[in-house]
Amino acid sequence: MGIAGKNGSGKTTLARLLNGLLLPSAGSVMVNGMDTRQRRHIREIRRQVAMVFQNPDNQLVSPVIEEEIAFGPENLNLPLREIEIRVEEALQIVGLEELRHKSPHMLSGGQKQRVAIAAALAMRPACLVLDEPTSMLDQTCRQGILDYLRELNNRQGITIILISHNMEDLAGAGRIIVLQEGSIVRDAPPWEIFNQAGQTLDLKPPNIVRLAQMLRKRGCLLDERISTLEQMENSICRLLKSTT
Amino acid sequence: MLRRMKLGKYVPGNSLIHRLDPRTKLLGGLIVVTAILVNYNWPVLLLNTGLIFMVIFLSEINLPSVLRGIKWLWIIFIFSFLAQCVYTQGNPLFSLGPLTVTIEGVYRGLATFLRLLILFLSSTILTMTTSPMKMAGGLEALFAPLTRLRVPVNQFAMLVTISLRFIPTLIEEAETVTKAQKSRGAPFASPKKLVRLKTLLAVLIPLVAGSLQRATDLAVAMESRCYTGGPHHSRTKNLRFGRRDLAALAITAAVSILPLLYIYCAALPVQSLQNLR
Repeated sequence: MGIAGKNGSGKTTLARLLNGLLLPSAGSVMVNGMDTRQRRHIREIRRQVAMVFQNPDNQLVSPVIEEEIAFGPENLNLPLREIEIRVEEALQIVGLEELRHKSPHMLSGGQKQRVAIAAALAMRPACLVLDEPTSMLDQTCRQGILDYLRELNNRQGITIILISHNMEDLAGAGRIIVLQEGSIVRDAPPWEIFNQAGQTLDLKPPNIVRLAQMLRKRGCLLDERISTLEQMENSICRLLKSTT
Repeated sequence: MLRRMKLGKYVPGNSLIHRLDPRTKLLGGLIVVTAILVNYNWPVLLLNTGLIFMVIFLSEINLPSVLRGIKWLWIIFIFSFLAQCVYTQGNPLFSLGPLTVTIEGVYRGLATFLRLLILFLSSTILTMTTSPMKMAGGLEALFAPLTRLRVPVNQFAMLVTISLRFIPTLIEEAETVTKAQKSRGAPFASPKKLVRLKTLLAVLIPLVAGSLQRATDLAVAMESRCYTGGPHHSRTKNLRFGRRDLAALAITAAVSILPLLYIYCAALPVQSLQNLR
């Protein structure tokens, strides 16, 4: 699931409400039936809703990767065996086993962000909230992180909430919520958002969607629901098959 | 700049010394350092030097990497040695113009040298074989009794860990800021000291502002990972003080404290060396 919106639209505030970093001044936030305002639920809520932040440098606590990942489970007061198992598992998922004894400042931005994701995963969350995790990374790292997230979603069944102002990041989402000045203005699958994006929402749709739009204008019978390269491919293949 | 910071940096490993409980290593280091500061008789110094090199050997860290840090200390070593040689009263060994080098002076100089060496090596080997988190856990456990006196030991241990983590990051940032200011014509190489000082301010202020931002971000990130500032039960409970540790402490105590007791209790024929004090 993706959350989009311009600067100051309340994306980060929403993310912080989700795991009780901020408490609502009116109304309430319920996470799996638990109210974030109740102190005794807060630990369980934070375990279930893990967060990854924008700046990869400012969210790593420990001088050693392995211990960084153990930080969350340690705060949950788990026994040593269990912590070791989880660290191992998390390292494997993000593929950083060989860097386990390294120090964060020796890693690249993308690797740091992967460590942050692993650290979040070590708490075995039900849901992973990422607040603009790719905005400080270069293009290849960005794609790498997005691929990891998709895999996590498919394999581990963890709900991914990706917050971004970049529509390219959100193209693979199952559902996008658009925020504007603190309220939800759209909640729809990506293709629908993207096709309206240019006119009403003041967001720039991904390149692939714009290409599809242009092709449609030229008279190609492309599917309206295209938001990723893969879908584009399938759609064109189908088109070719139907014409021959 | 970064190269130099590697001094005393944790070297991962699985040697006997690495596997010792951090508390053992902290206490052991404390014993050795106390022993050589209290007394510098030859037996104490030599035994402790031997002990330190033994530990280095057992830790499977190659000696050159440990000794690399001494490079900068040599100057201090030589200066203190020379000063001791010249300024100690006693039997003259030989004269060099107005300066007289005494036998006692040479002894004393050598003793000072060994003391400094032990001080340096013991702390280096401690940080090289103990990962920062374990160290923080060890400190936390050692100072745990102080929590009764409302000393925030847990927070303090966390503080140590975080500063260890951010030292390299801050150095990197300082370099970036310096380059940025240089590229905008900041006179870092000005011959006037006052100008250079003012330029340094232009690096310091962004750096401080940046670290405050970092601190805020980090606090949020830590909180979101269930950190509450409370004690790290798992971290301190998972420390195991085994038979190994007992043996190590016993050896250290034997090497460091017994000679002291021996010297103080039975006034020895080491009298002549005692005169050195």
